[in-house]
Amino acid sequence: MLGPVLAFVLAIALAPLLFSLFISLTDYRLTDPTQAKPFVGLGNYLKAFQDKAVLETLANTVVFTVGAVTSQVLLGLALALLMSGETPFMRTLRSLAIMPLALPPLVVGLVWKALYNPQFGPVAYYLKQIGLSVDRGFLGEFTTAMPAVLVIDLWQWTPLLMIIFLAGLKSLPTEMLEAAYVDGASRTQAFFYITLPMLLPVIFIGVLLRTMNAFKVFDIIFATTGGGPGNATSVLNFHIYKVGLTFFDMGYAAALANILLFMIGVCCAFYVVLLRRQRATEF
Amino acid sequence: MRASRTENLLRNALAILVIAFFLMPIVWLFTTSLKLQRDTFQLPPVWLGFQPTLNNFAFAINQIQVGRFVLNSVIISAGTTLISVVLGTLGGYAVSRSRLRFVGASSYFFLVLLMIPPVAMLVPFYLIMRDLGLLGTYWAVIILDTVYNAPFVVWMMSNYFRSVPTEMEQAALVDGASHFQAFRLVALPLAVPGIIASVLYCLIFSWNDFIFALLLTSPSTKTVPLAIMGQFSTAQLQWGYMAALSVFAVLPVLLVALVLNRYFVQGLTAGATKG
Amino acid sequence: MSLQKFRAILGVMGATALTLAACAAPPAAAPAAPAAPAATEPAAPAQPTDPTGIVTREFAGSKLTLAAQTDQFVEAFRALIPKFEELSGIDVTMDELGYVDLRQKATADFVGKTANYDLITVDIVWSGEYGQNKWTVDLKPLIERDKAQLALDDILPVMWTLGSWGEGQWAYPLAGYANVLNYRTDLFEEAGVSVPKTLAELQEVATKLSRPDKGVWGIGLLGAKGPAVAQDFMAYVQQYGSSLLDENGKPAIDTEANLKALEGFKALFEAAPPDATGWWWGDRNDAFSSGKIAMMLNWSTAIKNHKNPDLNPFAEKIETAFSPLGTEAGKYGFGGWGIGINADSKNKEAAWMFIKWITSPPIQKEWVDNNGSPIRRSTLTDPELVKKYPWFPILLESYEKGDGDYRPRQPWYSKMEDVIGTEVNAYLVGQIDAKTALANMQKAALDIIK
Repeated sequence: MLGPVLAFVLAIALAPLLFSLFISLTDYRLTDPTQAKPFVGLGNYLKAFQDKAVLETLANTVVFTVGAVTSQVLLGLALALLMSGETPFMRTLRSLAIMPLALPPLVVGLVWKALYNPQFGPVAYYLKQIGLSVDRGFLGEFTTAMPAVLVIDLWQWTPLLMIIFLAGLKSLPTEMLEAAYVDGASRTQAFFYITLPMLLPVIFIGVLLRTMNAFKVFDIIFATTGGGPGNATSVLNFHIYKVGLTFFDMGYAAALANILLFMIGVCCAFYVVLLRRQRATEF
Repeated sequence: MRASRTENLLRNALAILVIAFFLMPIVWLFTTSLKLQRDTFQLPPVWLGFQPTLNNFAFAINQIQVGRFVLNSVIISAGTTLISVVLGTLGGYAVSRSRLRFVGASSYFFLVLLMIPPVAMLVPFYLIMRDLGLLGTYWAVIILDTVYNAPFVVWMMSNYFRSVPTEMEQAALVDGASHFQAFRLVALPLAVPGIIASVLYCLIFSWNDFIFALLLTSPSTKTVPLAIMGQFSTAQLQWGYMAALSVFAVLPVLLVALVLNRYFVQGLTAGATKG
Repeated sequence: MSLQKFRAILGVMGATALTLAACAAPPAAAPAAPAAPAATEPAAPAQPTDPTGIVTREFAGSKLTLAAQTDQFVEAFRALIPKFEELSGIDVTMDELGYVDLRQKATADFVGKTANYDLITVDIVWSGEYGQNKWTVDLKPLIERDKAQLALDDILPVMWTLGSWGEGQWAYPLAGYANVLNYRTDLFEEAGVSVPKTLAELQEVATKLSRPDKGVWGIGLLGAKGPAVAQDFMAYVQQYGSSLLDENGKPAIDTEANLKALEGFKALFEAAPPDATGWWWGDRNDAFSSGKIAMMLNWSTAIKNHKNPDLNPFAEKIETAFSPLGTEAGKYGFGGWGIGINADSKNKEAAWMFIKWITSPPIQKEWVDNNGSPIRRSTLTDPELVKKYPWFPILLESYEKGDGDYRPRQPWYSKMEDVIGTEVNAYLVGQIDAKTALANMQKAALDIIK
């Protein structure tokens, strides 16, 4: 029964990847009328590591991913603990909290762009009331642009982590906690010594899912800053889109894409190994 | 260790603040879609008590003819969801029940597929679709969306199937049922919540996709997010129009998500929490 | 979630959902509506007459797809396309695209040879790229063949830069934009300043007009990363009398003159709202109509909306003047859009008929009335139109002294624009200094042209 899906995936996912590996070794430009694919060996890869724009976007990608995953996991955990109550009121709030998940990231980006607008944006307005404002707007100042974009991502994806962690919390056996309290443990101690370790598998899943997606962020950058100001929010995925699908410099774009793929792969392989080890001790 | 009354009050108050943060942009979107251009930028922001208008929706429907884009979005996301869930459920079952270590571990392989950055796939995929003459058809987008969704369903469903007890299936096999019968008659009915969750995720991913549709659709297969982007240009921005168009992009899936809200975590955490 | 909770949520959404249900009924029918009369039309006895004599029913039943940037002229297309459909029996679908997506989709269509689009609106700066790659049809032979129908003498000479490159004409003039100065008379009077004639005066006036304490700034500029800031910077360089290329057309960006120009450009930003470093065209128009800026140098295409009291509360106090020049011999910035035919299109003749019709003298009036920009002398001097649009004489002179080449219309323009648009923006927001920005641009430009 694995057959159909494996065949599909191999044909449609792996074929393009192999093809991409091939064109990354050529100087293939779609805009070239002759459509020649001159072989350049590792030239594109070497060029990438000397390209200022690529190195800058690579750094931005790492900052974005680390920032997004850390902030969202911590906040998601805090919200799960805050909203774990089984009262009808809390349940209603929880079901409302998932709404950001269902919105197209492009629309999310556009809405937040308006909310941040320093002239008429409600968010900019309220923040100004409490004394927080920057002249060029949060998306326009190069020191605040990345955090501002991170907040948008946080807004959209923290609810997912919250509900995953909530599911984890609900499935924990309560006996151990009760025993700990009987033994006089404080709530902080109980959390760090009992709840947190038992939640680890679920946290791993959250981290894994968000890491994969944070590396691939595109829509909200496209909709808000276009990678600006300067190159402050230009992430690798966005840069590749520009090289490959705006200027149709396919060979170079394929090489950049493979570099990104390699980064994500290494990162996630690391998680998966951790996750499996965790599971192995559990079974 | 019961929480005190004050603590509960504090918790509720804080939770309301948090929800206000998560709902505010959505409320802004819906109210803006009902506002006149002159009221859009009022400061302090007006959340209620403005003069509502349907002008923006009239513009979206008559001038932009958003209906055809909604239809395209429906076709693409329904196609993707159907194919992904069928393939993924079968695959997930096979992975979860296999005794071969290699197959059992392959759910990670499917997860790895999800890591492929969309552009890495798009560049070669665009060329292949061009050579097959499929650029601009619904199929081009459906196939590529499925490449990302089916592996996710395999991973989720293999987790989910692992969490449902296997005794009845084994009993059925002993009674002479085939593997497929055991799957269809015993395991599948138990996996319905996981399947609903898979449908939900596939729907959200494919309905909300922007970059694949940007590259692979033609004017006649263009989806709603693209129609919204098309209005962002060099002329004066009309946020009311924008918001009305966005409502068409947001509302259908938002309603589905709210209705199916309790299924969101099925399968995602099934393996890790053991049900 | 219990059923009650679910009902509660539905209740919240109820009002919106109902409203939507009411609106949602027509869309399915709407797209079909224009097609239906077209199909039954040949039988209809009362055939509408075409004042131009250009449209025939030779291609009735065929389909054309137009990729149009959602600029002001889209309104004119929306109004005129149904008329063309009725006259010709051709079904015309317009795909409305933003600036970035139009470039991307059109290029993809050309290199993919998919021929999704028959007609494409072509930004003046894309002429070289389109011409070199022969992505669009060279219209020269068609123009020569049909010159009797085209009233060519009437089209202002500068308009041909909307699509000419090398020996060919790769797009036909559609909408000509002149760089003009729009300003608020009341704020000018209050500050006791007159219309600036030179760049130095522009800086001086802008500074005097700036009253951040009152929420009013002297000038609105485009600062957003990408095409926006690149365009305004190149216009400034041209007005300054400098150039990004040397006499041989080679990049000469990191020169002393350009350093002065870049610093002058940033100095002008001091008199603009701080967030102007993130503005696109739409943001600047929004700022002007909300009274935040006292003047702006921008394309003539937005004037009509700004003089409409329904759209701009300061409409009565807005005047248009020539844009200031750096030198006496200077020329006014010219830009705008041509319309080209996809070289792979299967309906080239039908597409050509559409172009001839939409740019013909009788249709220009409706084109202009629906927010399109003119290309013809007769339109700009038509007494009836001049009465309605009193700024037309300024446009005419700006066109006559217009320079469509202040942005190099070369095949490498788009890549260069991307570099300029990134580096100048980074300098404006203080990420890098002026020298670094120019050095980066020069290095990238040499790479691109190599």
